Formats: sequence, C-alpha cells, structure tokens
Amino acid sequence: MPKLIIDGKEIEFNPGQTVIQAAKENGIDIPHFCWHPSLSISGNCRVCLVEIEKMPKLVISCSTPATEGMVVQTQSEKVVAARNAVMEFFLINHPLDCPICDEAGECKLQDYAYQHSVGESRFTEEKNHKEKRVELGPNVMFDGERCISCSRCIRFCDEIAGKKELTFIKRGDRVTITTFPGKKLENPYSINVTDICPVGALTNRDFRFKSRVWEMAPTKTICSGCARGCNIDVWTRNNEILRLTPRFNNDVNSYWMCDNGRLNTFKHINANDRVNGPHIRKEGELIKVGWDEAYAKTLSELKSFAKDEIAVLTSASLTVEDAYLVSKFVRSINVKNFDFVKNIVPGSGDAILIQEDKTTNAKGVELMGVDSSKGGLKFDEIISHIESGRIKAVVLIEQDLIGLNSAFEKALAKLDFLVALATNFDTTTSLANVVFPASTYAEKNGTWINFQGRIQRIRPAVTTIEMERSLDGMSLSRWDKFGTDFDSWGKSQKNDARPTWKIISGLANAFGTKYKFTMAEEIFNEIAHTNPLFSGLDYDVIGERGVQLKTETMQIPPLAGQKKVKI
Amino acid sequence: MAKKNRLKDLSFGQRIYITEILKGLRLTLKNMFLPKFTMQYPEVKFDPPASYRGRPVLAMEENGQERCVACGLCSRVCPALAIEVQAAETENEKERYPVKFEINMLRCIFCGFCEEVCPEEAILMSKDYELAFTNRADAIYGKDKLLTPVSKLQDRINFVRQFK
Amino acid sequence: MGILELIIVSLIKIIVIAVVMLLTVSYLVYFERKIAAWAQNRIGPNRVGPAGIFQPFADVLKLLLKEDIVPTAANKYMHTLAPMIALFVAFSTFAVLPIGPSFTAFGKVFSFVVADVNIGILYVLALTSVGVYAITFSGWSSGSKYSLLGGIRSSAQMISYEISMGFSVAGVILLAESLRPIAIVNAQSGWMWNIVLQPIGFITFLVSAFAETNRLPFDLPEAEPELVGGYHTEYSSMKFAAFFLSEYANMIISSALIVTLYLGGWQIPYLEMLKLPAGWVVTLQVVAFILKLIFIMFFFIWVRWSIPRFRYDQLMNIGWKVMFPLSLLNLLWVAILAMIL
Ligand code: SF4
Ligand code: SF4
Ligand code: SF4
Ligand code: SF4
Repeated sequence: MPKLIIDGKEIEFNPGQTVIQAAKENGIDIPHFCWHPSLSISGNCRVCLVEIEKMPKLVISCSTPATEGMVVQTQSEKVVAARNAVMEFFLINHPLDCPICDEAGECKLQDYAYQHSVGESRFTEEKNHKEKRVELGPNVMFDGERCISCSRCIRFCDEIAGKKELTFIKRGDRVTITTFPGKKLENPYSINVTDICPVGALTNRDFRFKSRVWEMAPTKTICSGCARGCNIDVWTRNNEILRLTPRFNNDVNSYWMCDNGRLNTFKHINANDRVNGPHIRKEGELIKVGWDEAYAKTLSELKSFAKDEIAVLTSASLTVEDAYLVSKFVRSINVKNFDFVKNIVPGSGDAILIQEDKTTNAKGVELMGVDSSKGGLKFDEIISHIESGRIKAVVLIEQDLIGLNSAFEKALAKLDFLVALATNFDTTTSLANVVFPASTYAEKNGTWINFQGRIQRIRPAVTTIEMERSLDGMSLSRWDKFGTDFDSWGKSQKNDARPTWKIISGLANAFGTKYKFTMAEEIFNEIAHTNPLFSGLDYDVIGERGVQLKTETMQIPPLAGQKKVKI
Repeated sequence: MAKKNRLKDLSFGQRIYITEILKGLRLTLKNMFLPKFTMQYPEVKFDPPASYRGRPVLAMEENGQERCVACGLCSRVCPALAIEVQAAETENEKERYPVKFEINMLRCIFCGFCEEVCPEEAILMSKDYELAFTNRADAIYGKDKLLTPVSKLQDRINFVRQFK
Repeated sequence: MGILELIIVSLIKIIVIAVVMLLTVSYLVYFERKIAAWAQNRIGPNRVGPAGIFQPFADVLKLLLKEDIVPTAANKYMHTLAPMIALFVAFSTFAVLPIGPSFTAFGKVFSFVVADVNIGILYVLALTSVGVYAITFSGWSSGSKYSLLGGIRSSAQMISYEISMGFSVAGVILLAESLRPIAIVNAQSGWMWNIVLQPIGFITFLVSAFAETNRLPFDLPEAEPELVGGYHTEYSSMKFAAFFLSEYANMIISSALIVTLYLGGWQIPYLEMLKLPAGWVVTLQVVAFILKLIFIMFFFIWVRWSIPRFRYDQLMNIGWKVMFPLSLLNLLWVAILAMIL
C-alpha cells in the first residue's frame, strides 16, 4: 500500500483516496464543514486547508488525492493562520445566536470556533439579514442567517435521496438555500439534512426547542420502522424519548434513516394509552389487576378449551429471545395452531433503505420456530377457523391485528377468549379479555434479525417500574445520574410493563413449567448453545454493529429440551 | 549559621500555656462588655449590598416578557441541579423562550454560577434572603415567583457589569 | 432520727436537688449561649420571654417533639441504655456534695447534703468512671464510625485524666485526713483553702475536670469537624437531650467538687469575727457556696469560648507527661506540708 506522511506520522492509504479520507481513517481529524464521507466533494468551505510539501500554496485536503510520499502538515503556522482566517470569514455574518440556536452543543461551527478561531471579530458592521424560519418542507425548518453555504443538504438530496429539491440562489454574501419552484423538501429521507447540516440552519420541526442535546442520554439501538433495522440512537430525557437519530453502520444504513422511522416509531412509548399493569375484562370493562390474578385467569380460561380450539399468534417484531420463549412455551402446552403475522406493504419499499416488510424480526421469529410445522394451522387458516367458530381462544402477542387490517375485527369479535400482550390500548385490546402490558422495544434488551440476516441488538432507553437506569446499565444524563425521587425529573411516568419473554415465563409458571431466565441475555445464551446458527454469538460479540448470520447454509434444528405439559 | 526563628519555636512562657490561656481569657472577657453588632432581625431588616447573593430571579422587561431565551446554560452549569428549563418557540425575534423555568430552592446553594454563565443577563441574584417553606413542593419556584422587573434589579445588573 | 424520718428527709432533699439540678442545667445551657454570644459581640437568645429567659423551656419542648431515630445498624438496648446511664451518673453524684453546714432547726440537726457518706469522694470518683460507660456504649451501639471513634476517644481520655485527678484528690485527702466531703470542707476553715495550700493540685484537678466533662478545650469525643457529633451522632430527641443534660449536670458536679475540694466549700473567711446569729451564718455560707459554684461554672463556659480544641496527641501528651507528673509533685508537696503543719 502506498504511504504518505501527515504531521510526521507515516500512514497507509488506498489509491484513489483523498488526503482527508486517508487522515480520517488513521484517526487524524482535519476540520471540515462541506466534506462528508458519503457525499461528493464540493470543496467550498476551505476549512480543511493543509500545507503539502512542494506545493506552492495551501490546498484543500478534501479534494487533493493522496499520493505516494506526500508530506502533509495540518498544524503548521501557515495552516493555523489560514484556518483562523477562514473561521473569521464564516463568523462575519453568522449570528451570535448559540443560546437560542437548537444546534448548540452539537454544532461544528461552535466547536471549531472554540478550537480554531481567535475568538475576536474585526467586523463591526451590521450583520447580514436573511430569511428566518422558512418551512422548507413538512419536517424541516430553515434559518437563512445561520447557513454557512456548505451545500451538504443540496448534495444529500441529489445524491442520496435522489430527489433534486434544494438549491442555492443569489450570490456572494446573499447566497441562500431554497427549494426549486413548486417543490418542497419532502423526500422520505428529508430530516437527514438536519443531521448533516454542520450548523443550526436546518432543524427537525418535530424536535425543535424540545431539549438541549446535553440534557438527553443517547442509547444505541435499532429502529423499529421496518425490516432494514437502521442503527439509531434514542435520545431520552426524564424517561421520555425526544428524538431518534441515525447511527453510522456501513453494512445497514450508512449515516441515514428515513423520516417515517424517525418520526413515527417512538411516540407511542410515552403516550398516555400505554397499558400500565395487567388488565382483566370484568363486566365489559378492562380493570387493572395484579399479575398473579391475570395469570390465574388466563390459565383457568385456557384450560376450558380443547387444544385445537386455541391459537397463538405473534407479531413478527418480537425479539429473538421473546420468540424463542414463546415457541418453547407453546410447544410445551401442546398448542399447534401457532404462527406469526406478516406485515408486508407492497410497493412501499425503495432502493435506498425502506423495506416493504414493516416488521423488524420476521427472520428471527421464523428461526425460533414460530410456525405451524407441528401440524397446526397457518395464519390464514386460523383466521378462517375463528370465523367458523372452530377456534375459540387466541393468545395474541404484541400484534394489533385490527390496526393492521380492520377486516379482522369481525373474526376477533367471535372469540370466546382473547389474551393480548400489548404495549398500548388499541382496537384489538378493546376486544381482549385479558391484556398483559408488554414492554416496547425501547424498554428491553434483545436482538432482531433484519432482512439481510444480520442480527443486531436493541437496548433499553426508557425504564419501566421494574428497572433502574444506573443498575440496568442504561445511558445516563447528568440529571439521571444526580437526581433523586424528590426532583421533578425523577418523577417521570414509569409503566408497569414487562418484556414478552418475562410475561410468557410468568404464564408458563402458572401452567406448571419453570423457566429460570432472569435476563434476556440468558435466553440468548441458551439459543447460542443449542442452535448452531447462533453458535459463538453473545451480546458482546454482536456489539454495536451487529453480526451477519449464515442463514442460507445452515439447517435450523428443532427447539431443544422440550417438556410436554397437559393443560 | 544562626538558628532561624520559627513560629513554632515557642518561649518557655508560651510553652507552659498558662499565660497564653490567661491572655485568651482576657480577650474574651473584654469582648463580653463591648457593644454588640446583632441586628434584631424581624424588626430590623438587613438591606444587603449589590454584591449579596440572595435567591436567583429572572429579569422581566417592561413589556412583561422575560429576558431568558431558555438556552439551558444555567441549568447545565448549576452544580446543585437546581434549575429546570423547558424551552418553546415564540413569535418574537428571539425565537426561544422558557415555557417552564423552575428553581428548586432546596437545591440551590446560592453560588451565582447561573448568573455568571447567562448570556442574556436574564438570571440574577436578588437580595431576597427570606426563604422558608413547610413542604418540598413549595420550594420549587416557578416563573410566577421568579420573574422580577428589571428596575428592581438595576443594582445587581450594575454590579455584574462592573465585575463580570 | 428514726428510719422513717430519715427516708422522708432524704426524699425531700432528693426531690429538691433533682428539681434544682434540672432547672440549673437548663439555665446553664441558656447562660452558655448568652455568654458565647457576648464573647462574640452578639446578643444571644432573646426571643422567648423577656431577654429570652424561657428559651430553655422552648428547647426542651422542641427536643421532646423531635422524632426519636434509632439507626438500623444500632444495638437497640445499648443504644437506649447509654443515655440513661449518663443521666443517672450525673444526677446521683450530687448526692454526696454538701452545699452548706449542718444546722439545727425544730430541734433536729439538718445537713445540706443528701447523703453524708464517709467515703464520699471515692463515691464521686467511682461514679464519674461509670460515666465512661455511657459514652463508650453509645459510641459502640450506634453502629456508626463517628460514634465509635468518639466513644473510643472518650474512654481513652477519661481513663488518662482520671489518674491525675485521683492523685490531685489524694493531696486534698491527705490534708483533710478524711474522705468525707463535709470533713474536707471543715478542714479548709479560714484561709486554709486548698487552692492556697496546693495550687499545683488545683490546676491539675481543674484541667482534669475539664477533660472529664468533655468540655472544650478537651471535647475530643464530640469534635464536630472530625466526628460530626462524636458519640451522640446517632442520637435524637430525648435521648440526645439526656446526653446534653448530663454533660451540663457533669459540669455542675465538677464545679461543686472544685468548690468543695479547693475553694473551701461554704467557708467564708473571718465570718465568725462578725458574730452573726447562727441562721444568718448558715444562709450566708450557702450563698457563698452558690456564688463560688457560679463563678466556676462561668469559668467553664468562659474557657470554652476562649480556647480552641487540643489535638488528640496533645491531649494525651498533656495528660500523661504533664498532668500526671504534676499531680505526683503535688502529692509530694502536700506530704511535706502535712509534716510541717
Ligand atoms: S449554528 Fe452553531 S454556531 Fe451558529 S448559532 Fe447555532 S450553535 Fe451557534
Ligand atoms: S443549510 Fe446547512 S447543510 Fe445546507 S448549505 Fe446551509 S449550512 Fe450547509
Ligand atoms: S442562562 Fe440565562 S438565558 Fe439561558 S436559560 Fe438560563 S436564564 Fe435563560
Ligand atoms: S445560584 Fe448556583 S446553585 Fe443556585 S440556581 Fe444558580 S447555579 Fe444553581
């Protein structure tokens, strides 16, 4: 491999790389605004100037190809002076707005002003005034004064989202961003421009002014919007999710996520209609009861049906661990009508990120044996059997059937007994006889296998009443760390909910089978020991980026260690 | 080399304590008959100088609006985590304002860091030292109790401008 | 005197003494606060009643109404027992200290002492040593490091100083040739006060008395900056009050002991030359005793607000290397004196 020297350090690079890329890969940070690793090179911000031996002038490192034996200086006097000058130019017209600006705290301009600027301006004239609060589209707000004209947002729309929606207009210091006439910034990936905008010029309208970035605690997890499983950070404050941001993973989602995933997958978690504690229907009303009562009720009701009158339906968004325990339990009570519910919206996918399959773990649920292979009925047959009255009791796990398709309402209304494990009250729970409160994906540990066959971890970001942020190793903001129960931020709503595997082991206990799992990780370890597809894996190996499973080449063995229990 | 005289090289008289103790006793005895400095508090009230750090308050402009732009810096710098700010958007030129601004007076240690960090001169240490509550909830001061007209704070503003 | 009479008279004396003690203790606290304030150019408590004279009652009421907290790690019985011992020791010591001469009324001889015990001084020394248990128990039973350290310190301190105290007292006994407090007082008639005859003994006894009562400058068992509250860190409400009261009661007893042993008790020099009627003499003598007592108590408080606390090693140094030899020296001197007189 060819080599070059940056700041006296010899580093290797791949032919074709630019100096800034080579530097970045070797942990040398050259300041930059307009350059973005996955966008084309524009070279207009001039902050990445470096000195290269045998070149008469300073050059921008983002567009200078690295060559063998090149000697680069990023900290020489000349470079530092030039960088100061560039920063001073940027700050001529940039408002002194940080206290009001939402970007403060994660703003590149702010950071560089501290690192690379002299901190004084020689500019005494009135600053430029431009349009503020421009609604570029349904999700993005633009502030002309804060824009530093780096063109990242334009390039993103052109190159990544594939929709030419944004452009520069005007000249010189009056240059600004706008949408093409008659167009709006409304591509399904539009909010990503707020992440890549180095300043606070573009802001997410859903999150604007909600919170300072340093008040929130980020949790590395996976988006629940579709089978892609984009890596994301969930930002919580006071036990409430305020925003989601994409997390870089080159194998899955690069730097991006879609607007639907970003806006529509977390609001139900802190909503008021969360199921808080188990509920039993008494005289037509769902009444909150204790866990034991709910388990006992479920047991006694289910016992009154023949086994082929019972069906268990799960969502395809269960975690691998949940699915494993559910199918272990269902086999143990010898119920054969067992399947998961697909949720595929044809034509909704695209070639960028969005998948037609709107569930997060269809592969994993299948691998864990959630199917009718033991001679039971498939999903469609189960529905028709319900309609014809041959199936009288259903256990519905984390699946709002009616919300999926209101046609199912007729069928469910016919049931004698419906148990639902649900996160929120919805049209399906309004028909249920027993409702167990299930934790959402942001309240539990677990793994999902995405459409590529990549297993990835989800982590808890919001606590339920049985969790404790610091003890459960969750990310902590300063307020979480030092608050007490007497502070208002310690009094946030916590729901009495449990992850599905825990509810199932409680139910199994009522049926006389004991599972000795106390953590999702223990279930996963058992899977890793019994299923060769998962051998060698554990939560640490999966880590933050996930692991690709060899699904095609492996046989999936039946579930190990079955114990049959008579109902 | 001459021996250096150090503070702990005591003379014999000092070493047997007695004379020194008597000196101390004389001093306290004398003080018992000197005039007293106590202020009879509820009747006579202490009017603190501008440098006094009483409870922090929010400056309110003539038009009844707060200066605070809810930047959250005071909340971040507060070593006692006493301040909670929730921002929201307004139509004003400064597009951010605090919908909720609470100081927990049980947590506040009157360090004045919030005042020092505030970019808008919006939070200031007042002269109010009469803080007593009978329950925890009363100790959390919201905007209603915090907002104080700028005219009443002019003293402190001058002081802050001079020494910040 | 019949046995019944003896019991009744003693009971009356006990009640009188107990009530007087409690009142004195409360007002001692009040004066402590006042004197502290004066020494610091302040006014002191002045809100409850005129010039704050009802402050002690307010304090007691407050302490009574406080929650009684017993730490989970504490040994409950010991924890409760300790303040009781402290209070018991403090009050029972006073029984043998005479505050005036015997007098005759209604044809009977009365004495200003609850129990005229012939080994009174030994009794006092023994009881003050029992007081150490109160502090050690409380320190140990609280289950807190601060309390424990305070308790250990106090036992070490008290044991060290008891020795010099004992030897100083030995000097007094040598001259009086009796262990009876009344006899000791009688031996100091005229100007033959022990403070004059054996000044070194007086100083060693005084210093030891400070150390025994845990008063500043020797309040190491409860040194606030290091040990929070020392042995009573984990006490609240009336249990705390018991320690508090016993500390002040101990102060009164120490003062009374000093007066008895060194300041001639109720003796007023040259009083007999005035040829006053017997009733007058007795009254004046009791007043003299009380005045002397008040002066010593004032001295206790005065010292507290003047002199800073010793370090622990200094305390031990003074105890063993200064006070102990000095008290021996004093004993020698008294022996010589006894031969001359
Ligand atoms: S964009 Fe950055 S530098 Fe500009 S006001 Fe916002 S935080 Fe400050
Ligand atoms: S809006 Fe942001 S990303 Fe777009 S050009 Fe301006 S600074 Fe760059
Ligand atoms: S620092 Fe000032 S402007 Fe910022 S939130 Fe606090 S009071 Fe408001
Ligand atoms: S004075 Fe100090 S402790 Fe009080 S609110 Fe301000 S920063 Fe917090």
